Amino acid sequence: MTENLHSLIAAKLEELGPSTAVAFEIKIDSYFDAVRGVLDDFASGKDLMCVYITASVPSSTLNAALQALEIKVTDLRFVDCISHSLMASMEASENTAFVESPTMLENIILKVEYFYRLAQGKKMLVVLDSVNSFALHNENKMLTEFLTLLTNSLKAKEAYPVLLAIPDQLKPEVKETMAMVCDVIIPL
Amino acid sequence: MAKKGDRERCATGIEGLDNILGGGIPTSSIVLLAGTCGTGKTTLAFEYLVRGVMAGESGLLITTVESPDKMLSNIPRFTFFTDSMLMKGKLSIINLQEIMDSAGLSGSDMDEAAIKKLVAAIAKLVSTHKAKRLVIDTIDTILTEIKDEALDSMLIADMSNLLYRSECTALLVSSAEKGDRIEGRVADGIIMMGNLERRLDLLRTMQIIKMKGTSHSRSRYVIDLTETGVLVTPLLKGVV
Repeated sequence: MTENLHSLIAAKLEELGPSTAVAFEIKIDSYFDAVRGVLDDFASGKDLMCVYITASVPSSTLNAALQALEIKVTDLRFVDCISHSLMASMEASENTAFVESPTMLENIILKVEYFYRLAQGKKMLVVLDSVNSFALHNENKMLTEFLTLLTNSLKAKEAYPVLLAIPDQLKPEVKETMAMVCDVIIPL
Repeated sequence: MAKKGDRERCATGIEGLDNILGGGIPTSSIVLLAGTCGTGKTTLAFEYLVRGVMAGESGLLITTVESPDKMLSNIPRFTFFTDSMLMKGKLSIINLQEIMDSAGLSGSDMDEAAIKKLVAAIAKLVSTHKAKRLVIDTIDTILTEIKDEALDSMLIADMSNLLYRSECTALLVSSAEKGDRIEGRVADGIIMMGNLERRLDLLRTMQIIKMKGTSHSRSRYVIDLTETGVLVTPLLKGVV
């Protein structure tokens, strides 16, 4: 199963098409395989701009890991919501927009909008990594409102909204939020 | 969207703001753009002018504190702004002191005659530049030199008449923290910029307090100042 996980994810995204909010429920040990499926197999294949919202790992660490694992992404941008909180390195880059905290939810939406404008009509895939991290930093009502606003604005732009979640660690109310916000939840 | 029979709109070109206003500011309005320092007033006002040039409307910016060069260096370099806008005269930036000097005004303790002269000088500039958009950044500098509150009101009222005749729509930048000062009471609209502290985070916000001639949202929005322009999104309330 794991061996073909990335292909399966790409096939699912292809089948569902744009403007569909998809959540992938993944296991920790298949995290990078899932990321490979979304970014390499699917997004690069379709020449999409990828906006990766990270609230778990700093973008510099994630980028290094992607390179080490030879996960290819043609056009990758980060909305990094964690480096500032961790006092991690925040090297200025046109591919990375830093948000001071994962609690500044509106600013995350605005950074995605910023990359959308830079894309100038290019189709976009937006990955939110992860629902667990955002649930850790935000009260559930705020999280629900944020995810609703984010996914709806992305659907209106005919983008591909993809949420990553580790289901074993989610509280029941967060699972309810995901069920409400997402069109499809795919357990892997 | 503006409905049939509504006043003609001056679409600011700032997407989020136009959506909130139902298409833009009613043409020939005089709008107070108020808020404390660091809230994005100058950036928003400058984008308003640049977007106007892109839409074929000439703009005039009167700076009253910073020199034009310093002001330009302090705001994001918009990807859609080009120096040719300045060189071709589609966008003109003039320091208030130049206007005062040419009108023979000292600038201190302005009386009724001085205000009339100043408004006439601005009217001449609006006409010469064929400006459809005017920004004064900041109006406070002029108002502090007017000691009589009735004359404050007269200045705004005279400017309002001038702009109406010229079909010019103006933003007056002010550091007022509330829109209830005299200029706020006389202006056609008030856009309030602010900082909102939430769980120790500081968010830049924007709220339309009033706008004559149009229905509009009165909710508060969060903004971001980027080189692609001022971005706007609703403030999350966490009450789903």
